[in-house]
Amino acid sequence: MIAKYAGIAPKGDLIVLQKLAERLHERSFLHVNSTREGGGVAEILQRMIPILQGLGIDARWEVIEGDPTFYEITKKIHNALQGNPETITEDMWEHHFEVNKSNAERINLGADAVLIHDPQPGPLVEFREGGTWIWRCHIDISNPSRQVSNALGRYADQYDGMIFSVAKFAQALPIDKFIIPPSIDPLSEKNRELTGEEINEAVERLNIPRDRPLILQVSRFDRFKDPVGVIRAYRMVKKYNDCVLILAGSPATDDPEGAAVLEEVKEFAAGDKDVHILLLPPFSDRDINALQRVADVVLQKSLKEGFGLTVAEAMWKGKPVVGGFVGGIPLQIVHGVNGFLVNSVEGTAFRIRQLLNHRESAAKMGQKAREYVRANFLITRQIRDYLAVWYALENKGRSVFVL
Amino acid sequence: MTSAATPFEFKQCVIILKSTGKKAKDLRKLCDLIGSVSDESIFHHTYQYFLKEHVLEYTNDFAHWAGESLEERSLAEQLSNVDPYGFGTIGDLRDELRNVITAYLEGSPEPREARRGDEFYFNETATLVFPVGIWARNLAEFLMAIKVIETGSIYYHFYEARVRVEDRTDDFSKWIGEALGKEDLAMHIRSIDPFMHNVEEIQKHIADAVEEWVKRDMERMVHAL
Repeated sequence: MIAKYAGIAPKGDLIVLQKLAERLHERSFLHVNSTREGGGVAEILQRMIPILQGLGIDARWEVIEGDPTFYEITKKIHNALQGNPETITEDMWEHHFEVNKSNAERINLGADAVLIHDPQPGPLVEFREGGTWIWRCHIDISNPSRQVSNALGRYADQYDGMIFSVAKFAQALPIDKFIIPPSIDPLSEKNRELTGEEINEAVERLNIPRDRPLILQVSRFDRFKDPVGVIRAYRMVKKYNDCVLILAGSPATDDPEGAAVLEEVKEFAAGDKDVHILLLPPFSDRDINALQRVADVVLQKSLKEGFGLTVAEAMWKGKPVVGGFVGGIPLQIVHGVNGFLVNSVEGTAFRIRQLLNHRESAAKMGQKAREYVRANFLITRQIRDYLAVWYALENKGRSVFVL
Repeated sequence: MTSAATPFEFKQCVIILKSTGKKAKDLRKLCDLIGSVSDESIFHHTYQYFLKEHVLEYTNDFAHWAGESLEERSLAEQLSNVDPYGFGTIGDLRDELRNVITAYLEGSPEPREARRGDEFYFNETATLVFPVGIWARNLAEFLMAIKVIETGSIYYHFYEARVRVEDRTDDFSKWIGEALGKEDLAMHIRSIDPFMHNVEEIQKHIADAVEEWVKRDMERMVHAL
């Protein structure tokens, strides 16, 4: 399995993965989250578990089960951790715990290392049977509700370590806190190399013209992704450079505002034939892949963002990305080196024009973008980091490990 | 071609970032925390800066933050001028960083705070060191290897070595000088300014220099025939 990544992932990552796997050979590594399908965590676990098994690690993935009330509570917890005002009563916390307790009776929690993903299964640590327990927080908790973070703190203290995606999400807890950004899989349908035929088929089916430069933003129709701001920037560019704008997104069933935002965006586009608003069905991975490959400039003009892995996806396809200075986007774009960071509609328009008028330097930026993703945001690096955290927590007190 | 009794073994390092949970929103807090965070954290924000993709305007994370987040350009320039390799201990480096910031604060209007979310986050690292399975016994093999190894290997042997190797030099020039007896090439490699290049450029400079010496050796061999 890991051999498939040879020539794609950095050789050093593959070597260190094998070195770590030799040390952790046949030891058990349990991942627990709250959904088997849908969402970035499930997506990455589907790819990661077979790779871990291929490395000789006894990797297992369990999913907790809950009633609708449980998921309503965990949605509130999720929102509160992202800074929204929510009230979570003692009864709700009790229910959160009880559901985890019944899952603990059902799931075999015995493993040498247990990685718990996000807050939903957090209380499982109360039922730990040994091994190294790590809590992985995938969401932006840089500005959490104090009440909720304090309530979860009682569980956090019982873990051996925590993992956050970005340093500013890390909380001041008396346990080891690791920073591990998320990753993309270069072999997945969304990121694999496509043939010219595959690209043409998708682009023709989606009625995308190829006679002018293409500007693309892939994102849900969400105000935090600023689709209206993207159209404003496109209009500023259009005065100087004839171009086509594509706003591509899938309907999010868990986002009641999505349909309203889509209507706003359509209304704002006002029938401009060069603005293509694509509502793609879920799992349109190959179409997104094709669009990213034909785009001349990719935007991620978010106003608020968790990590924004669509940036890494486009960078992996050799595209310079113009991204908002929010969330994890500045970790992916090194301003002026492999893309541009912007803070306004005007800045977005200016950088698009710059890229359209300096094709050679845009292409160089795109090459650097791909190499930056290769070095930092591929799934092999994330697996390497998970194994390294496990190994480091089993060998506490050292900061240098010679393998 | 001279062969060394001890081959050069290429190693590489990768780092896993750890949060200390400490952050500074202004220069006074930054200065306080520089005085109290772990040696590993100071090491990460200065020496390990060269592991990261960066623009050549700054030479450490403190300078980068002062310049980009606080827009204190003058302080950023002064902090960038602090050479971590010029200090015997992390403690001495820590003192110098604090002296620079304190002197700046005394002579300047009170600087603004960083925007929320743009504070300085103190991190440290767990470092994994591993052999990459490449050895060189002579300069020609070294040349082949230096061209294909990854930047993590260049960082380990060229930058990180300066705090690991006894005479505070890099592994490459040490081996070339001691094991191959090519002191002039060793001196040439030592003269490459680590601050003025990113890791890829360092790799190219070393490869170019070694290639030049390999050519000279070959020419000498041809003349000797």
